[in-house]
Amino acid sequence: MSATLTDQRDSAVQSRTFPWHVARRPRPRQFDRPRFLVLVSVFTMALLFVPVVVVLLYSFNGTNSLVQFGGFSLHWYSSALGNASIRTSLWTSLEIALVTTALSAVVGTMLAFGLERGSRRMVQVSDSALVARLVAPETATAIALLLLFTQLGIGLTRTAVIAGHVALCLPFVAVVIRSRVAGLNREVEEAAMDLGCTRLGAMRLVALPLLWPAIAGASMLAFVLSFDDFVTSYFISGVGVTPLPVLIYSMLRFGVTPAVNAIGVMMMILTMAVIALAVPLLRLGRRRLAVSQPD
Amino acid sequence: MTTTPVPNISAKLVDVTKRFGSATAVDRLNVDIRRGEFLSILGPSGCGKTTTLRMLAGFEIPTEGEIFLDGRSVTKVPPYKRNVNTVFQSYALFGHLSVADNVAFGLRRRKVAKAEVTRRVGEMLELVRLGDRRNAKPSELSGGQQQRVALARALVNMPAILLLDEPLGALDLKLRREMQIELKRIQREVEVTFVFVTHDQEEALTMSDRVAVMNDGVLQQVGRPVEVYDRPVNGFVAGFIGTSNLMPGVVAGNRINLGDGLSVPRHGDHAGLQDGDRVTLSVRPERVAIGAELETGQVQFAAEVSDVIFLGATTHVAVRLPGDRRLVAIHTHARGETVERGDRVVVGWWPQEAMLLREPS
Repeated sequence: MSATLTDQRDSAVQSRTFPWHVARRPRPRQFDRPRFLVLVSVFTMALLFVPVVVVLLYSFNGTNSLVQFGGFSLHWYSSALGNASIRTSLWTSLEIALVTTALSAVVGTMLAFGLERGSRRMVQVSDSALVARLVAPETATAIALLLLFTQLGIGLTRTAVIAGHVALCLPFVAVVIRSRVAGLNREVEEAAMDLGCTRLGAMRLVALPLLWPAIAGASMLAFVLSFDDFVTSYFISGVGVTPLPVLIYSMLRFGVTPAVNAIGVMMMILTMAVIALAVPLLRLGRRRLAVSQPD
Repeated sequence: MTTTPVPNISAKLVDVTKRFGSATAVDRLNVDIRRGEFLSILGPSGCGKTTTLRMLAGFEIPTEGEIFLDGRSVTKVPPYKRNVNTVFQSYALFGHLSVADNVAFGLRRRKVAKAEVTRRVGEMLELVRLGDRRNAKPSELSGGQQQRVALARALVNMPAILLLDEPLGALDLKLRREMQIELKRIQREVEVTFVFVTHDQEEALTMSDRVAVMNDGVLQQVGRPVEVYDRPVNGFVAGFIGTSNLMPGVVAGNRINLGDGLSVPRHGDHAGLQDGDRVTLSVRPERVAIGAELETGQVQFAAEVSDVIFLGATTHVAVRLPGDRRLVAIHTHARGETVERGDRVVVGWWPQEAMLLREPS
């Protein structure tokens, strides 16, 4: 009964206001009329997506050419996946990315708590260090890492690449998780302790479950950063450790085959799948925190 | 250190002091919390009432003094080892768990058998009238329902003391009134000691067996609501609980001299008061009679009506005495008589109903 009443009223309001709404909309003034809006939009979109589309298209090219399209074929995909060095590089990249993700997630979460709850002096120091790491040019830090690892005699191993990637991802992970830790109501952890949890138990049973969407989202960000990284990997990786982006670069130098396109498409799909998972997770985290916050 | 458990005392605070840096939040607090009572800690914000509660819960360790729970010193015992539970101001529900899992949280930490957890959680949810929402997530509940989940989650553990930190503060007035009655009913049913922190004097008076009034970290008075209302120990309590007409005066023999030729007889036992001591006379507005309400034996003064505020059941009448002294009287229309602004009237009260406070105001 009440529902129908509301419906009627709503539609009445709509039918009454709709034509007026159109007529009354103020005309854009001369200087703020978006004259080139469409042009600029199309140009920007083209700039962003034409290369992607070209790579996608030519990855299905039937001929051996990078400029002429000669029919649809999955030839380059099988060629790429059939190539032993590409397969090895893919596994290397995946392994490095996964270990980097795990390490950044654990250390990043601890760092986030420290930054949010540590003493003011400690926070100031670590905060500026983190920002410095965020804005430092990657080439510079990569050279620094190269020198460091050779000086220390660690050598350019897989471990070295992972260490470099963790250093690269950590600031991003810490910043994302930190903002969620800030939104965590302290009383929720106190409530857990009040109900029989130790400090660590409260963290495990209450704080981490509330934060895990943010941690998962940040981890995926770390995964993508590491999997995709070229600069740091190029400087640090030595003989026998060739992450995929580094391999592709070296392939380009010794004559390009359209297999590169196929690899590019596969990397893109993997990266986009991870991002597609991360976004809803971060959103879920926000909703969970909303309950535990004081008004 | 232990003392002999006193059967009727649930908790004992001995000379408890808490300092944060140079600020003293609680200053040498001594109070006994009786088993099964509803004790309110009442005071303005920043008076140390929440700090006191947090020390009882174990979230703060007193700088000095000791806290005993059932005769055992728990001064430095962490919250998870105390048989005390808290209802937090923000409810602090676990957003990732269902209502039933929230309530079961404490029992599960104590490794209570599964069947018993289910049974006790069910009973508790019935008690707070949420039996049909056991699978809901906290975010799906209204404020009042969330409040009751927080209550059930704490109470299901059958704590020696349940601590409530302004739990009704976030609710609107109507819901607040309902929850006050609800809380009182639940406390009667479970027979657990409740320590309830609030800054709302009406809430404290209506719900409590005893009220502890605090100000500036110092306990002012503990007593039954009617005691702190009718026999406040000082001007702060008299002014904070209800309203009061406070009049400065000087002791003169067996009378109190209010100045401008006004004086009232001294009443009650006030040993140690000497002539010339400065005191404050406090009279509740509802004790002040006007015109036809006056009876012989009451002290009486001529006054002029300066304001009349009609409130339905009662009327607040502000009058002016000689020397620009102002008094408020609450008039109940018992005699069907009305007064108007500008009327010249006689006001008065029973001398024994005026409270003598040993301090200048």
